[in-house]
Amino acid sequence: MARSLAFLIPFVSLIAVAPCTLQGAETVWSGLVIADNVARPQPIPPELTRIEGPLKKFFGYNQFQVIGQSQKTLNTGQEDWLATSKFFGLHVDAQGEGAAGYVLNLKLYKEKELLLETDAKLSKRSPLVIKGPQVGSGQLLLVLVIQ
Amino acid sequence: MKTFEEKWTAWLDGQLSGRELSEFEASLPDRATAEAEKAGARKLGALLKRELGASLLTNEEFFSHQVRERIRENTAPSAEREAKGSAWWTIPRLLWTGTASLAVFLIFTILVMRDKNPAEESQYLTQILNARVDPVVSPNATVSMFEVKQDRVTVLWTEGLQSLPADYAAK
Repeated sequence: MARSLAFLIPFVSLIAVAPCTLQGAETVWSGLVIADNVARPQPIPPELTRIEGPLKKFFGYNQFQVIGQSQKTLNTGQEDWLATSKFFGLHVDAQGEGAAGYVLNLKLYKEKELLLETDAKLSKRSPLVIKGPQVGSGQLLLVLVIQ
Repeated sequence: MKTFEEKWTAWLDGQLSGRELSEFEASLPDRATAEAEKAGARKLGALLKRELGASLLTNEEFFSHQVRERIRENTAPSAEREAKGSAWWTIPRLLWTGTASLAVFLIFTILVMRDKNPAEESQYLTQILNARVDPVVSPNATVSMFEVKQDRVTVLWTEGLQSLPADYAAK
C-alpha cells in the first residue's frame, strides 16, 4: 500500500505538470467566412463547430461558409501568412508568443484596399471573431482559432 | 605469639582447645565474670545472626542490584538512544513521510493555482489590443469589442463598413 502510493503520487503529479511545461508547435486556423440566412443551410464547416453556438447567437445567421482559409503551424511565433478568397485577403503577422497565446497583427484587404487593421493577443483557448463588411445579404466574418 | 586480646576473642568464639585453653583459663583473673561475659557474647551473636541475617542478605542483593543497574545505565544509554533514533526512521515510515510531504505540496500548489486563476482568467481570453478602419474608405465606421467569457470567444464588432455586392462572397 505505502509503496504503491509512493509511486502513484509522483506519477500523477508528473502527468498533471507535464501539459503546463510542454509547449509544442501549434496550428492557427484563419478563415474568411460568409454568414447568411438561407432556407436550407449547409452544415457548418468542421473548423467552426466549436464556436457554432456563439456564431449563431451573436450574428443571427444560420449558415456559415468558408470562402478562404489558411492553416499555419507556428514554431517560432514570428511567422506571417495570408488567407485569401477571390476578393478578400487576411494577412496575419505573428509578433511573438506569450504565456497565454500569440500577439498577432491582422489586416483585412479588399483586393488591394486595406479595410481593417487590428492587433490582438490570440489565446490558445479562445477564438477570435471579427465582423467584416456586409456582403450582399450576408456578412463577412474573420475567424481565428488555435487548433 | 598470640596477644591476650587474640586469645580472649578465640576463647569467646570457643576456638581454644587443649593446653592453650587450660593455660588461658588459668590466666583469667576472674573466671566467673569471664564466663558470664562469654555467655553474653554468644547470646548476642546468636541474636544478631537470627535477627539480621536475612536483612543483611537482602541489603547485599539490593546493593548488588543497584550497582549492576548503575553500570548498565553508564554503558547502555548511548547505544539505546541510537537504536531508538534509527528505529523510528524505518523504510515504510520514510515512504509515508515522503508521500505525505508530496501530497501536502500538491494540495498547496493546487490551492495557489486556483486562487491565481480567477485574476488571470482574462489572460486566457483573446484580447484585442487596438483596431482601426480606413477613414477614407469607411468614414462612418466604428469598432467595438467584447469578450464572452461563457463561450471563451472574443468578438471585434464593426459598424458602418462599406457594404459590398454579393459577388464579393465568391471563393
